[in-house]
Amino acid sequence: MVKYVLMIHSNPQPWGHPTSDYLPEYQVMSKEQLERLNADFETMLGELREKGELLGGEALGAPESSRLYRWSDGKPLVTDGPYSEAKEHLAGFFLIDVESQARAEEIAARFAGPGETVELRPAMWPGGSDQ
Amino acid sequence: MSARVVEDVWRRESPHVLAALLHRYGDLGDCEDAAQEAAEAAARQWDHDGVPENPRGWLIRVASRRLIDRVRADGARTGRENALSAALPVDALLSPAADQAPRDEGDDTLRLSLLCCHPSLSRSSQVALTLHAVGGLSTAQIAAAYLVPERTMTQRLTRARSTLRTAGAVFGLPAPADLPARIAAVLDVCHLMFTEGHTRSTGDALVDSPLAEEAIRLTRQLHAVVPDHDEVAGALALMLLTHARAAARTENGDLVPLAEQDRSRWDHRRIAEGVRILERVLPRGHVGRFQLQAAIAAVHAEAGSGEETDWRQITLLYAMLARVAPSPVVTLNQAVALGMAFGPEHGLALIGPLLDDPAMRRHHRTHAVRAHLLEMSGDLPGALESYRQAAGLTASQPEQRYLNGRIRRLDPR
Repeated sequence: MVKYVLMIHSNPQPWGHPTSDYLPEYQVMSKEQLERLNADFETMLGELREKGELLGGEALGAPESSRLYRWSDGKPLVTDGPYSEAKEHLAGFFLIDVESQARAEEIAARFAGPGETVELRPAMWPGGSDQ
Repeated sequence: MSARVVEDVWRRESPHVLAALLHRYGDLGDCEDAAQEAAEAAARQWDHDGVPENPRGWLIRVASRRLIDRVRADGARTGRENALSAALPVDALLSPAADQAPRDEGDDTLRLSLLCCHPSLSRSSQVALTLHAVGGLSTAQIAAAYLVPERTMTQRLTRARSTLRTAGAVFGLPAPADLPARIAAVLDVCHLMFTEGHTRSTGDALVDSPLAEEAIRLTRQLHAVVPDHDEVAGALALMLLTHARAAARTENGDLVPLAEQDRSRWDHRRIAEGVRILERVLPRGHVGRFQLQAAIAAVHAEAGSGEETDWRQITLLYAMLARVAPSPVVTLNQAVALGMAFGPEHGLALIGPLLDDPAMRRHHRTHAVRAHLLEMSGDLPGALESYRQAAGLTASQPEQRYLNGRIRRLDPR
């Protein structure tokens, strides 16, 4: 089993969750389309939970609410966020535990949606091969 | 009497208790729950009264009563009571075979393993169920071994049992024609369990996983049931020979590659056992992938030092493995052996095509092997570049530390 983090990078305006409620890409969709996308997403989350593949996840506050701590002149220097000038920000994450990289990629593809970038990264693990 | 004693008895008896219940009433989920309740009752009662003379009979009796209660209680809801009463002569469970010949223990283990490794289940569910039902590990222990929350493991197990129910999986031996494939699945599960345990056993790192030991125990049991199954013997030999290196493969949490390991710390009793099994099974003619991998491990084990390794012999074995079970990972290992036996350019030639394979191009070991071979050939800038790629791609902390160490050595800036 391998652990992966799915990071959802997004830029809802105003910042809010579910992010799809605040993305222009979703506002042009029909009600039926929206409902189907939401239902698909809920089904998938349910499936991951039931299979014991979903370890956890959180939705994050607005980038403006962050505080940044940098080291300067031997002590922490605190400023207000956001962390980067980038258009998209980390909006939330999920931690999954799956059988293979292929399964992780399959799940990541199902998290993908209009107006967002899903980043899949393996979690480091404490073991290794000696060969 | 300590909880440890009860746990040891439970680990030994649980597959037989479960098998006795399953013989009469086939639902794994219900039977496991009942068996679990019997184990809890044992922990309470044996503490006062000591372990009964026939702990298995005691556990079966208590579990049977719980099973009947449980099925009656939710019978109305699920309609499963009919299934039970149809399958169950009234006293069958309450007087478990006291006057009958004892059932074959190995048979219990085999049937239970086959049920847990039913083809309707994903590999990870098969592993979890086997550890729980055959190995007698608690959900909490399995969750700890896999570093996931206990609740997640409970969900995984619950889902697996309901999948078995839906698939109509039965506790019994499959048709003779299907048996080899079904045993192969059990073997894959044991090997997966072993790999997961062994490659994580980084000495004093967070969890010293009991998985590898458990996998060896289960494979040993399987080997005792089907001693003529060459690949079961091969897998057992492979695990023994590989795990014999466990004590030497980490130093302060850092990975020690095979060539640099202190061979006096290898477990020579296990090596001898693995070699013995292999010597018995290899002449039989049918040679499968586990036997070949075990033979390779044996060549390493028999070398007094890294330099004395018979790389030509290993090259031959990898060539056979590449025919029996070809895979890009085998090609990679073959490249290492070729490089060591005949010079780095031979290994590099074999790796070239792997870099065109999208999956292997993103596999850290492709670049790590390439880096080693380039370093051997004297192409240090090329080696450095490959080490960097490998270090960036691995998700293993000890491997990343090791690769970063090689980078620092070549490029001390």
